[in-house]
Amino acid sequence: MSTFRVWGLSACLLTAPAFAKPIAYQGGTALMGEYGAGTMTEAQAFYAPSYRWSAGVGHLRLDADDGDFSRDITYLRGNLLLHRWNLPRAQANVFGWGGVGSADSSDTTGRKFAWNAGGQIDYETLRFYSSLRTDWQYAKDGFSHRIDTVQLGWAPYPHDWDRLATWLLVQARDYTGGLYDGVEPAALVRLFKNGRTTAFWIEAGVTIDGRLQSMFMINF
Amino acid sequence: MTRFLITALLSAVLSFAAWANDAPRTIEMKVDGLVCAFCAQGISKKLGKMDATSDVLVNLENGLVAVSLKPGKDVKDEDLRSTLTDAGYTLQSIERTSETFEEIRTRLKSKP
Repeated sequence: MSTFRVWGLSACLLTAPAFAKPIAYQGGTALMGEYGAGTMTEAQAFYAPSYRWSAGVGHLRLDADDGDFSRDITYLRGNLLLHRWNLPRAQANVFGWGGVGSADSSDTTGRKFAWNAGGQIDYETLRFYSSLRTDWQYAKDGFSHRIDTVQLGWAPYPHDWDRLATWLLVQARDYTGGLYDGVEPAALVRLFKNGRTTAFWIEAGVTIDGRLQSMFMINF
Repeated sequence: MTRFLITALLSAVLSFAAWANDAPRTIEMKVDGLVCAFCAQGISKKLGKMDATSDVLVNLENGLVAVSLKPGKDVKDEDLRSTLTDAGYTLQSIERTSETFEEIRTRLKSKP
């Protein structure tokens, strides 16, 4: 855990937006999917009536690394941009979100009402980025766990609007609630490209266990 | 008299052509927070949908957004400001110019 805290502190002190932002832009729809090294698999769809908030649905599948249990959580969620700093060559954001859903866990009986909440801070320049994100899920008499993720990224060449952007990043993820033992580091490559009406984002890499960590996002 | 009229007419035509050539064709905007091409897609879509605009140029390195105007059309500054604010960015300045996008790109490339 102390290693994770060092990563988190480093992210705050250095820079960047690491994660896909939960709010695309006013009038934008974001479709996201993530495969997290066999421990988490998540799909989300959000619509943003304003650049300050979005709402949508998601499904999260969690499999404990020791095979003891699995959880399926389907949820509704609202995302809020709490604060944004627009600087001449940088941007920083604070997001918060929360929602409700229905959860099914192999270590409890019956479907349960579940809460979710989380947040993200990020700071980004044209060449560096960092982000710190936390996601918490809770079901009374069921489970409580948190997924904390830190990313640090670097763009090896300057990219512009009409060019393919490439980012190299490192990620550290910590699961609570018995989902994964220890901190899970990963190395990733992220690519994104704008089309006339749609933007595509894909990232893929491996964790320290040699497992696939990947994510995609489409904004339109 | 005929010669005078022809000369006057020619002068008027040439003056109009010169004026039309110098008329603003492009609006250049300096924008803060413009660092992520993926996230700034909304700007391009919003500005591109305006009645008066024919194309949008986004340059992240210089924090610049430009729109080319359809002939005889213009966009109010407050409309540009609200569009960029609604997209989540901060507009710093607006400048009207007769430069084409190609000329702007060339200028930006030659910038030290």
